[in-house]
Amino acid sequence: MLFSLSLSLSLSLSPTTLTSSPRFKFHSCPHVLPPNRLRASSQAHHVILEDHGSFAGAGAAVEENILPAGLRTESMPRHVALVMDGNRRWARIRGLPVGSGYEAGVRTLRAIVELCCKLGIRVLSVFAFSSENWFRPQVEVDFLMELFERGMRDEMGSLLRENIRISVIGDSSKLSRSLQELITRTEEATKTNCRLQLIVAVSYSGQYDIVQACKKIAVKVKDGLIEPNDINESLIEQELETNCTKFPYPDLLIRTSGELRISNFLLWQLAYTELFFAQSLWPDFGEVEFLEALKAFQQRQRRYGGRDF
Amino acid sequence: MVESYFISSGLMKSYKALNLGKLRYLAIVVGSEEAYQTSKVIELLQWLEAIGVKHVCLYDMEGVLKRSKEAILEKMSNTTVFQEADENDKLLDQKHMMLEFVSFSDGKEAVAKAANLLFAKYLTSNNSSEDQEGEIFTEPHMTEALRAVGSGGPEPDLLLVYGPARCHQGFPAWRIRYTEIVHMGSLKSMRYGSLIKAIYKFTMVRQNYGK
Repeated sequence: MLFSLSLSLSLSLSPTTLTSSPRFKFHSCPHVLPPNRLRASSQAHHVILEDHGSFAGAGAAVEENILPAGLRTESMPRHVALVMDGNRRWARIRGLPVGSGYEAGVRTLRAIVELCCKLGIRVLSVFAFSSENWFRPQVEVDFLMELFERGMRDEMGSLLRENIRISVIGDSSKLSRSLQELITRTEEATKTNCRLQLIVAVSYSGQYDIVQACKKIAVKVKDGLIEPNDINESLIEQELETNCTKFPYPDLLIRTSGELRISNFLLWQLAYTELFFAQSLWPDFGEVEFLEALKAFQQRQRRYGGRDF
Repeated sequence: MVESYFISSGLMKSYKALNLGKLRYLAIVVGSEEAYQTSKVIELLQWLEAIGVKHVCLYDMEGVLKRSKEAILEKMSNTTVFQEADENDKLLDQKHMMLEFVSFSDGKEAVAKAANLLFAKYLTSNNSSEDQEGEIFTEPHMTEALRAVGSGGPEPDLLLVYGPARCHQGFPAWRIRYTEIVHMGSLKSMRYGSLIKAIYKFTMVRQNYGK
């Protein structure tokens, strides 16, 4: 099949070419259009997405959007969540230092962000660093923090060009001052971007999110802004850190490396999320598996008759 | 399906000796429509009993299984209902199978109730320290508060989802941080071999818990 042939070709290339391989032909539509106005054909067996580089330029020609066979534009998940697992194992298998695994993971993330933009997905949440990850060896933690800082600084230009909004959730008090300031600047600079919202969870856990929501409510009660009788699960939901987006509940969660767990990611928000557990290690995760996950999600939508939870 | 048959008939040796040491608490999520099939739920529990699973949490969103509790217990000999008061003792009890019945109200609603306990403590606290919120609103305090409102069961090691959708449908989120989640398909087409395989695969998993 076209996709798998192309994927196996790309795997033989060096990692740095993965994000720029001309695997698919893509003709983009402006993403300000609501999904049902984009042309999509469930009959199309050809495709697909033309890659203009790691991020398509703002001046890319706007033409009809053709989806891979079997995928429907109108049933695209609005919010996809990712647990990017397997970077360390990927490096270990290749006899590389752990840092190489994380760097390869960043390249994969870039490619998936690009794919989400092209498919009209509105929100992508990624579990970059959990509360429990602070217990990893200090050298590894320092490397990851530096990777975030460098990545965010280096990608600012692309984010602005590609109309991507960045939001960071998690306990930022544990991050270095320079990283905290960089996050604030990046969020501010991209806050009006509307093509895709990329939510990066750093120093985050689902339990932390619920507790911090309760803390915020407690302060509002003490300040007389909320009556104690008004406290219910709806109020808690409004104070979760995912309130930074219009679509706080992921439609689809993908976890890579074959592990079948949420691992303290968006606990509250995942009640009705389709869970897709992919076998690849994160740096190897590509379009084929991503599209498989989307197809699984859309098949579920058909079973539920498009029911909105 | 073929593999499931071979597993059921004992022809696959690797599945014969299941080491259930890691499986301290198993949760089953059933789609609420399928939860009305009480006989299938009972059959599943009988399989689990035969396998040697001792602690099972049954969940469906609408509480159908809670309402069928008496009918289920009637058909299951040697079964007790999970009581939180003696949680630790019961988990060590190897003689009886222990069942817990849970629904949506034990999830988000319970967290809101537990949060209200913490709010009450916060408002009446005379502590004038700057980080009063930080001292009262912590994860361990939330766990304790959930127990106090009757929704503080143990964290399942494995959660099996029987239903058309591969999602946990509101199973108490606080309890599933590190739970392995496996989608088993619909209840009406459940197979013993598939159950054994899911449990076996779980026993082979190694978790880092993020560290």
